Amino acid sequence: MITEYRTYINPSKVYIPITDSEYKMANVKVAVGDRVLIGEKLAEKFKGKNKSPVLSTVSGKILEFKDMIDRYGKVVDHVVIENDKLYEKFQHKTFEHSITTAEVRNVINNLGLNKISVDGIFTNLDFNAKSKYVVVNAMFTNEPFISTDYEFLIKHSAEMADGIELLSIAANAEKTIILVDKFMPEEALLELGKEIVEKDIEVITIDSKKVNAKDYKIIKNLVNETLSVNLVDNGVVYTEIGAAKMLHDAVRLGVPVVTRKVAITGDALNINAVYETRIGTRFTELVEDLGGYSEIKNMNLHIGSFLTGIQLDSDDFAITQTVDSVNVAEYRGVDEDVCIKCGDCNDICPAGILPQNIMDAELRSVNSRIVELNTDECVECGLCTYVCPSKINVLEWVRRAKRRVG
Amino acid sequence: MNFITKKAPIVNNSQRSFKRAFTLHFAIIATSIVTVVLKALSSLENPGELAVRAFFMIVVGALVSVLVELAYAYSEKDITKFKNYKGYVIPINTGILIALLLPSITPIYVLILAVVVGVYAGKLVFGGYGYYIFNPVLVGVIFAQLSFGTQLAVFDTPLQLLKEALNGATTNFNILDLFVGNYEAVAIGSTSVILLSIVFIYLLVSKVIDYRISGTFLISVFIISFGIGVINYYVSGDFSGVFDYVLVNMITGLTFFGAAFLISETVSSPTSRETKIVYAVVVAVLMMTVRVLGDNAEGLVFAILFGNMITPFINRTVKRSNKKTLIKTVVISLVFVIFTSIALGMILQGRVEEIYALVGGVL
Repeated sequence: MITEYRTYINPSKVYIPITDSEYKMANVKVAVGDRVLIGEKLAEKFKGKNKSPVLSTVSGKILEFKDMIDRYGKVVDHVVIENDKLYEKFQHKTFEHSITTAEVRNVINNLGLNKISVDGIFTNLDFNAKSKYVVVNAMFTNEPFISTDYEFLIKHSAEMADGIELLSIAANAEKTIILVDKFMPEEALLELGKEIVEKDIEVITIDSKKVNAKDYKIIKNLVNETLSVNLVDNGVVYTEIGAAKMLHDAVRLGVPVVTRKVAITGDALNINAVYETRIGTRFTELVEDLGGYSEIKNMNLHIGSFLTGIQLDSDDFAITQTVDSVNVAEYRGVDEDVCIKCGDCNDICPAGILPQNIMDAELRSVNSRIVELNTDECVECGLCTYVCPSKINVLEWVRRAKRRVG
Repeated sequence: MNFITKKAPIVNNSQRSFKRAFTLHFAIIATSIVTVVLKALSSLENPGELAVRAFFMIVVGALVSVLVELAYAYSEKDITKFKNYKGYVIPINTGILIALLLPSITPIYVLILAVVVGVYAGKLVFGGYGYYIFNPVLVGVIFAQLSFGTQLAVFDTPLQLLKEALNGATTNFNILDLFVGNYEAVAIGSTSVILLSIVFIYLLVSKVIDYRISGTFLISVFIISFGIGVINYYVSGDFSGVFDYVLVNMITGLTFFGAAFLISETVSSPTSRETKIVYAVVVAVLMMTVRVLGDNAEGLVFAILFGNMITPFINRTVKRSNKKTLIKTVVISLVFVIFTSIALGMILQGRVEEIYALVGGVL
């Protein structure tokens, strides 16, 4: 339960990882001792032919390069910058109202906005010739039930609406859809509605209490074909509304992503808060700001959505632009029971494959059967694990099956 | 600071398999108590004695089942499961269900043998709950029925009367008696349909049983018996014979008991929605075939065991589950059920040549 809104945007040092889970190679552009401005390029990271910049989020001197774990749990080289608290900006090019597709795509590439939402079936902001649909998730729920922030939505609805329009320009979109929650506060819905009413955006309401991959079904109806693991291949760009705000800032103000809303929740912390924090802040500093951990023995740290997010064994990581929520809670282990073959996972699977049968085939190591069951179509949404009455980690078995057959 | 990295802290989904077992446990115990009371109030010979016998059987069934499981657990040197009541729920369920599936005249040694065979040979040798391929309840019951046929023989059950009616005997059923379970029953559990349908709806709502299996089963039985009824008992504008036939098939015997407790048993039934429908249709068709053509007036036990037997095969036939395959399955099943009902009806009338003609016409 979120009790407070806080800001923590003046850390004394920031730690910025120069690679991430997809962009695994990096070319460093600065040296220890250099002074950098906000938005200045620290490094370029590569994924195949694609290049994405790593930008500074404070102005100040580069202290060192340090190996730390990043939010994916991998040890990665981080640039450590001392914050001189002057916040001088490196001016990027800004655009007024009319803007072309190529220009928006350029801004996204130059300011490193490709990768913002990483949980579930969200896609990167990648565009290709097939790009046709833009779906924006304004539910602000990070499935099950961490609501990031409606205050933020009310305050910045105009920017967000503009950002959504920019996204549809970038994708050359035929159709733009915004998903809202049935239980959204009236005020938030009204503010958002006011801004998007004149734009060609369809609004679809989702009942967030039913965890049944409604967004996936909507996209499936939209494209009318079998969805691939990465929705970009089906011509869909699916992202959360925070990305729209970031895109607006980047295009209209020339500001890269320097701050991020992060929901920090869980019963291991005395105060649960939504933070506006500077990217590169260490998580331990935020915990200190919240008054430290409660005295709990078995703690469990989860980043991102409960269904698809990841868990770390250490809290010494830095906030990046892909972190939207962190949960630190007591680990309440529930024992796995034996599979009773009720078929709930087969019913809920949004991809229409049969997780129970795949798990069975994996247990018996029958490769041909795993291939036959279309295991490669699994989008790893985690709903099978969620619905399982025996609390079996079905997703893990399906992942193993996927790895087995390649 | 070190953290545990295990499963995500999802606490929202409150569905648990042991909760389902508890719900079933509660339903079974409630059914047993009401059944015993109804037996005591019935207008059969010696209702009091029958009720006491039924109660005794239910208790013995549960007890023997628990003892067999405990003995097996001791021999495996692992009795952690039986530290609290949770471990006893499933053995008790199995034991009571076996008792409920035998008539109240059953000698006690037959019941004990049935439970031992059902629990040991049907469940424990496969690895216990979650791993068996045949429903252990039905394994025990079929053992008893095949080995001790004469001791378990019950005469003049509504289904037998219906069968004799075909050979010219006349029978009038009292509809009210059928509804409250006041008739010679083939098993203790073949009791008031009102009670069983309340239990059925309760289990359906609490998701213990699957509406696709039990619902399809009941609908199929209805369609088949209606078809047979129309072909055999329809006399120009008078539907009363058809009505009787459908009613007796639906509400007496083990139809509703099976729909509530036996056919939807999750471990031994298929897992995806298409296969569930196919399974239910196969069981319904087999049951009606046995009822119409076989010696046995009650075919459910054989039918479900056959369904369990082909479950691995039907599970293997599906590759994915989507709207198209679902519609295809439903349509094919419906056609199959209707064809079966016509065929059975005609066979019953001795009009087999017409069926050959019909099949030839279709092909």
